[in-house]
Amino acid sequence: MKRQPKILSINGTFLVAPLLIWAGLIIFSQQSSLVVISNVKGAPASMKMAELRSVMKGERQRWNDGTKVNIFLMKTTTDLGRVTCDKVYKMSSDRVKRFWLELTFGGKANAPTFCNSADELESLVAQNPGSIGILDKSNGKKDTKVILIDGKESF
Amino acid sequence: MRKISNIVVCNFFLLSSLFAINFSAYCQNNTQIRGFVDVTSAIKNEKLSFALGEQDLFITSELNDRFSFLGESVFKFTSGSPTTFSVSIERIIVKYNYAGNHNILIGKHHTPINYWNDTYHHGRVFFPTIYRPILFDAHIIPLHTTGISFQGQNLGDLRFGYDLMIGNGIGSTDVLDNDKRKSITAAIHAKPADGLRIGVSWYNDMISKGSKEHDGDHIYNWDIHQNLFTGSVAYFGDKVEVLSEITAGRDKTDTTGIKNSLAAYLYGGVKIKEKYVPYFRLDRLHFQEGEIFFDKDNKTSVVIGFRYNINYLTAVKLEYQYLHSENNGNTNSVTAQVAIGF
Repeated sequence: MKRQPKILSINGTFLVAPLLIWAGLIIFSQQSSLVVISNVKGAPASMKMAELRSVMKGERQRWNDGTKVNIFLMKTTTDLGRVTCDKVYKMSSDRVKRFWLELTFGGKANAPTFCNSADELESLVAQNPGSIGILDKSNGKKDTKVILIDGKESF
Repeated sequence: MRKISNIVVCNFFLLSSLFAINFSAYCQNNTQIRGFVDVTSAIKNEKLSFALGEQDLFITSELNDRFSFLGESVFKFTSGSPTTFSVSIERIIVKYNYAGNHNILIGKHHTPINYWNDTYHHGRVFFPTIYRPILFDAHIIPLHTTGISFQGQNLGDLRFGYDLMIGNGIGSTDVLDNDKRKSITAAIHAKPADGLRIGVSWYNDMISKGSKEHDGDHIYNWDIHQNLFTGSVAYFGDKVEVLSEITAGRDKTDTTGIKNSLAAYLYGGVKIKEKYVPYFRLDRLHFQEGEIFFDKDNKTSVVIGFRYNINYLTAVKLEYQYLHSENNGNTNSVTAQVAIGF
């Protein structure tokens, strides 16, 4: 059996590795479901997807009970942040960042808080009335609740 | 002496803003500081020049549940200044959200009279083209108004919005009105689909005799009763960008009577893989004979360009412009710009 030259093996690794990463990202994006959590004060128990998108785009300043809407998102450099951009905003990460920059720069909305970790996001939602955030799963932290989107806990 | 006092006032505002940032950052942790700047190089009249654009310092802060602050200061080249640079306060807005999506804003605003002036402000990285439409050069749009504004946004299914602003008006300073009459701006818009915004607005002002033009030295020797009517359609979608605005100006003086002017532009762009956008812009300015307020120079401009959005904070643009001016003839220019946010 003829041995593969070392250089081809190295090139093969270079070819296969990005493919695996790319495939992994696609699988993560397709399989990863999202959960919307909120502080117990403010957000309703359920929402339509269109309503969620409107809220997450800063189009709503207050909930029905008068509590201020505070948006918490994972950083767009995280896998969860990228999935949120894709599924909720239907935009690339770059476009979501630009979208928010344009809104805040124009004085039309307050910027969301971008978190480094799911734990940080959940804690901030728990601490701030009127908060809403998006995660891959809820740990049921005190003072938070899961919002049903189109009647489902995850989407 | 006046310039020194202006600098002192600017510095006071800057220091106050910075103090507010530190205080708020400690308390609320939701203060954002951003900067924007651009550099250009242009070939015009067979000469290549490099130029610094404006350096824009932008601050937003949520002060509490109801109040928020927005500040924008610009450092720019000014030929008459001793240092050839000057600082200007472009916006200082304190916003109070009194109910739902309804707000009261007080301070120095960009007059919400048309889409461009209300949307892009000084961050060149957001501009779809390198420069503003040429109607801004003709002093048709009153860029700033210091006053109070009532604003509503995203109301109902059509995402209706309104702005009603009462301010000091043209010829006033940021601290004193030069006459008893207030300027009034009324604007409404709707966003019936994602990326689409349709709006109309009206501006009314009495410009007193002796008033000085914005960003210029021209002094008006008559009382001018001005009405501006604008209409705009903007669509920024995944693939296509379209922005068109028309402004009708109606200036009345006792000596010249009513003079009508019309300014319009149409911008179109196509996104290729999100980052690459070839675009064009057509501008047209037409003034009635005897117009005394605007810079009366009928112009037609054609811009063809290419924008490369490297990322959300960096854009490179290359543009060719043909400009026909009734007073200055034809000009051809090629301009490149790198605009960044930081």
